[in-house]
Amino acid sequence: MNRLGRSAVLVALGIIVSRLLWSGGYGWFVQQRMRWPLIGAAVVLVIFGVYEAAKGVREEGRDPESINRSAGPSVGWLLLLPLVVLISVAPTGLGAAAAERVDAYTPTEAADRYPALDDSSGPIEMRVFDFLERATWDDSRSLEDKTIRLEGLVVNDDSIPDGFKLTRFMVSCCAADGIPLQVDVRNAGAALEDDTWVIADVVWRPSETSFEDTEGDWIIEADALTVTVVPDAPNDPYESPYSTASE
Amino acid sequence: MAQSIDDVREEHAVHDHDHDDHDHHDHGGWSLGPLTLALPMLVAFLLNGRIEWFTNQDVRLWATLFVSVCVQALPFLVLGVTISGLIAAFVSPEIVQKIVPKRPALAVPAAGLAGLALPGCECGSVPIAGRLVSAGTPPAAALTFLLAAPAINPVVLVSTAVAFPNNGELVLARFLASFVAAITVGLWWAKRAEGSLLKSKQHDHGDNKGRWERFVDVASRDLVHAGGYLVLGAMAAATLQLIVPRSILTAVADNELYSILMFAALAVLLSICSEADAFVAAGLPQFSLTSRLVFLVVGPVIDLKLIALHTGVFGRRFTMIFAPVTLLVAVASAVLMGRIFL
Repeated sequence: MNRLGRSAVLVALGIIVSRLLWSGGYGWFVQQRMRWPLIGAAVVLVIFGVYEAAKGVREEGRDPESINRSAGPSVGWLLLLPLVVLISVAPTGLGAAAAERVDAYTPTEAADRYPALDDSSGPIEMRVFDFLERATWDDSRSLEDKTIRLEGLVVNDDSIPDGFKLTRFMVSCCAADGIPLQVDVRNAGAALEDDTWVIADVVWRPSETSFEDTEGDWIIEADALTVTVVPDAPNDPYESPYSTASE
Repeated sequence: MAQSIDDVREEHAVHDHDHDDHDHHDHGGWSLGPLTLALPMLVAFLLNGRIEWFTNQDVRLWATLFVSVCVQALPFLVLGVTISGLIAAFVSPEIVQKIVPKRPALAVPAAGLAGLALPGCECGSVPIAGRLVSAGTPPAAALTFLLAAPAINPVVLVSTAVAFPNNGELVLARFLASFVAAITVGLWWAKRAEGSLLKSKQHDHGDNKGRWERFVDVASRDLVHAGGYLVLGAMAAATLQLIVPRSILTAVADNELYSILMFAALAVLLSICSEADAFVAAGLPQFSLTSRLVFLVVGPVIDLKLIALHTGVFGRRFTMIFAPVTLLVAVASAVLMGRIFL
């Protein structure tokens, strides 16, 4: 790979990263907080690429043989592969197919007390992560009888004939470390297809056993009040693993 | 020891020369550049949506995992090669010899502590370590930095503390186990005195260039070089994530020895970022803390994507010795610290 090939690869990478940033598509691959590092990387890639191209062209004019002296190993061409995959396969992010492969997340205890909830002015919007944490660890049972609004995608499972597993992935760096966060939504009405994004207003159904008594198979259930299909996934399809519990 | 380092450098210079000659065969003129770029794009556009195989769920999931490992690693790689370019352009071997202690017993721990200062995942530290060797750093010190940087930097320790809010001792155990493993491997390498095996394959042509031109040249050269190997590693990691579902874990949870071995294997195969691995480990509460500590200590120092990167930057012969030794030392160090603290 000579100097001009190198500059072409660098600029192409810079452009595809910019495109992912512009369309928001990067959110399907990495956490939102990678936005600024990615912007920085795209800028540096384009600067390096343009600089190398300019220098390469000038040297080529002066000394036609110089181009081969600056050649490096051709393994660098592999950097174009992610681009080819992005265009040809159009990956859709983590969904039902990924949820089948990885055990759902079991929340760790994060706080001694959880703030009380007030749903008098309408359903409380909550991250699936927080819902799981309160359902598992909150001794004051703050979720009880409250209407909670969750957003996630549908994963059908034979164990839930009258509903689905409302699923959101927890991603700390990139989609490869994604772990499903799942609430079994019962009484959900008409069956929905896998990977449909929904907003569900639900009421927690307390478990009959405690977390300590269930070995590795902890399931959190809720009854659906309404389930609304949303046409598009949210801008940040994944949740971060950082607890928002205070107190 | 000083003698053997000089040998390394001489050998290195000779090797550079060999490689130069080799590179001269890479003809093709620059007109091929845009063509090789356009062709895969064209093929990709033609394939898009036309072949059912590409809409298969598993293929799409593979593509998601593959692209996400690449996208995640890219900013860290860019940071890494920027630093390696700066080292090549502004740090002469004379400066390195002044800064780095002569005795490995001092240089190795110092390099380990320097790892505290590089906030990021493991992908960025490989080109930096390669460039440090080219700039005249004793290989043992550069290797210690390579192993310590991704494992003990503040970002990784904080994310570990967040993932295990009730197990502060695990953060300490992770720090110590990784640090001890890095220093052990570094001292072992210094003792071997067979440094000639470690040859940075990162080359620097044209000593008559200006400093900034040299900076950009080295950085972009290191970027496409290490980046190519990173793509290989990402492909392997995405494939193994599909072949080895994490659900398989539950089978061996009861046996401590098996779970330690399994977590060591998983750390290598899954190639999860050092900033993210604590959350994966936290999600597996049915396993002992010690076996999960093995996962956290092994992953940042050796995994598929790092093996690919090491092969690219230091060569295959080096990696064939370095990878198994690092794996063994990391497992032993993690088990030891697990015994003491957990």
